[in-house]
Amino acid sequence: MTNYIIRRLLLVPVLLAGVTLIIFGMLQLLGPVERSALYVVDFPKNEKQIDAVIKRYGLDDPFFVQYWRWLVGVQRPDTQGNIVRDGGILYGDFGYSRTASQEVIDIIKNRFPNTLDLALWTIFPMLSVGIWMGVKAAVNQNKFFDQAARIYSIIGTSFPTFVFGLLLLMLLYANNQWFLPGKMSDWVSILIYSGEFKQYTHLLSIDALLNLRLDIFWDALRHMIMPIITLSYISWATFVRVTRSSMLETLRMDYVITARSKGLKEADVINKHARPNAMLPVVTMMGGSIVGLLGGVVITETVFNYPGIGKAAADAAAQLDVVTILGLAIFTGLILIISNLVVDILYAFIDPRVRLS
Amino acid sequence: MTNQLLNVRGLETQFNTPEGIVHAVNGVSFSLDEGETLGVVGESGCGKSVTMLSCLKLVPMPPGKIVAGHAFFKGEDMLTMDNDEIRKVRGAQISMIFQDPMTSLNPVMSIGKQMAEPLMLHLGITKEQARNRSIELLEMVGIPQAADRLKDYPHQYSGGMRQRVMIAMALSCMPQILIADEPTTALDVTIQAQIVDLVKRLREELGMAIIWITHDLGVVASIANRVSVMYGGFIIEEAPVKDLYAEPLHPYTIGLLNSLPKINREERQRLYSINGMPPMLFKKPKVCPFAPRCEFVKDHCWQENPVLESYGRDGHRVACWVDVTSGRER
Repeated sequence: MTNYIIRRLLLVPVLLAGVTLIIFGMLQLLGPVERSALYVVDFPKNEKQIDAVIKRYGLDDPFFVQYWRWLVGVQRPDTQGNIVRDGGILYGDFGYSRTASQEVIDIIKNRFPNTLDLALWTIFPMLSVGIWMGVKAAVNQNKFFDQAARIYSIIGTSFPTFVFGLLLLMLLYANNQWFLPGKMSDWVSILIYSGEFKQYTHLLSIDALLNLRLDIFWDALRHMIMPIITLSYISWATFVRVTRSSMLETLRMDYVITARSKGLKEADVINKHARPNAMLPVVTMMGGSIVGLLGGVVITETVFNYPGIGKAAADAAAQLDVVTILGLAIFTGLILIISNLVVDILYAFIDPRVRLS
Repeated sequence: MTNQLLNVRGLETQFNTPEGIVHAVNGVSFSLDEGETLGVVGESGCGKSVTMLSCLKLVPMPPGKIVAGHAFFKGEDMLTMDNDEIRKVRGAQISMIFQDPMTSLNPVMSIGKQMAEPLMLHLGITKEQARNRSIELLEMVGIPQAADRLKDYPHQYSGGMRQRVMIAMALSCMPQILIADEPTTALDVTIQAQIVDLVKRLREELGMAIIWITHDLGVVASIANRVSVMYGGFIIEEAPVKDLYAEPLHPYTIGLLNSLPKINREERQRLYSINGMPPMLFKKPKVCPFAPRCEFVKDHCWQENPVLESYGRDGHRVACWVDVTSGRER
């Protein structure tokens, strides 16, 4: 087990190098002249100015020289003449976002807790209900619940998120104002700026609970429920499909008949023998869903005006803010790698064939 | 007469498939006495396994359905028992081992846990007692370092070892009947022999009755007292093991025995095989199901399905219109 985890951990830097190489490589598909546009504010008056920018930032250096510089930054004198490091994503310097008027790393710091907050509240209903429906559908194959779950699964996977989101907004916000878009009500943000409200984790709902402020907690939930429903209904549809087919396959396995022939209760046969085996492909898919949630759910966050990573990426993309997009892409890559690591380790816990090989 | 343990009467099982209803078992009757070993032979798809699974209501339902018959275990019909009642029979009084030991153990549960389940369930003993009993059982079936191997998972055992575990688990609650569904088919020849010897030894020690399903006539000869031959969802011949091999009365049994390679046969002779294919059971056979492949076939065979009747020596029963010794209709 320890061996297995160490081997997986050793892979992480390799994967990270791969991710950064690909992302940087994509940027390099643009020529030096095009990339020089990222460094100037005004239109250059002549070609000489462009050449000067290219020369100053080494935009026509060999690929790996530029890549290395991008990773570790360069040493430059600052206004006082001290030598300081400039740039370098390894030091967390992803550049400056001109559209958001802040460092990209600050965008991540400000927005990611919101995405995490939403993901936290989505993962539990997403997994528990989705898996429950899938197992129940498989056990009652071809009966009413199964047919209903299958119809739902088809509708859920084919109904576009933005349409569903807009419908929710219309029903639950425009008509009734039961639930709200955005992140928090004005009075909450005033409270936070006043400093009275201690931000332990920067996850609003968790902080509200830690401050014992149920009114703020309710406000946070009111803003998150519509995105939670939207995210859940798609995930449920896919989880039902995968869990159901995996469970049906498992129920046909010989060891399920063995379990029955031992005289076990049908509930034990399903819960102790069939379901743990059926969960293996579901865990793999779970990894993908969690990456999706943490890496920013662009459409859902945009529809509900929820200030998370996905909304930030959408805003940056709409304004052709290449620097921000690159920074967020690397951050998403990092999340992907970490989530896959977690899934692999989780997999080893469930499946002894992985753990002990 | 010794005590009758199992008495199956007129069992019929069907499967609903997208292509239509498959009549897998079409009225099978047999019985099993205390301490007896019954061999059930027949080719793949003849209904051997489904018959035995049906007795314990282990046929997956749906698509399977037991449409008729009774399966009396010590006088009580298992087919009319509710789920709780039959669960007390399964594993405790009648247990099963299966064809493929690679797939019949749960891959994500340790051997010790899988073995403890029936012990704790049927004998009501504690985890610790179940553990000790499991070690004894594993030693009984010849697994070395049994105590250390309880925490291992099925994939850490070889095929033969897994089948030994299955046997140990099946016998853990001292059942009166062990149903072995082709337990040696998936194993290589030397391991097959070991498993057969193991079951014989355990039969001596524990005295349970055995139903041994197989398509290997050699294995049956070495282990069974009595043999039933199945074809197309029917039992077509039933006899004490010696009589069956000495004077088979059904053309199908004769064909089966002739298709065995013989050690004293002349070289370069083609091995005998029965012509044609086993029947597709989308319709319940109304005439003799073997008629299309039979070398002795008469007009009567195409009109009526023969029933199992006594002929020849005591206890020898056959379902055939033709007397194979004379080649004439009975």
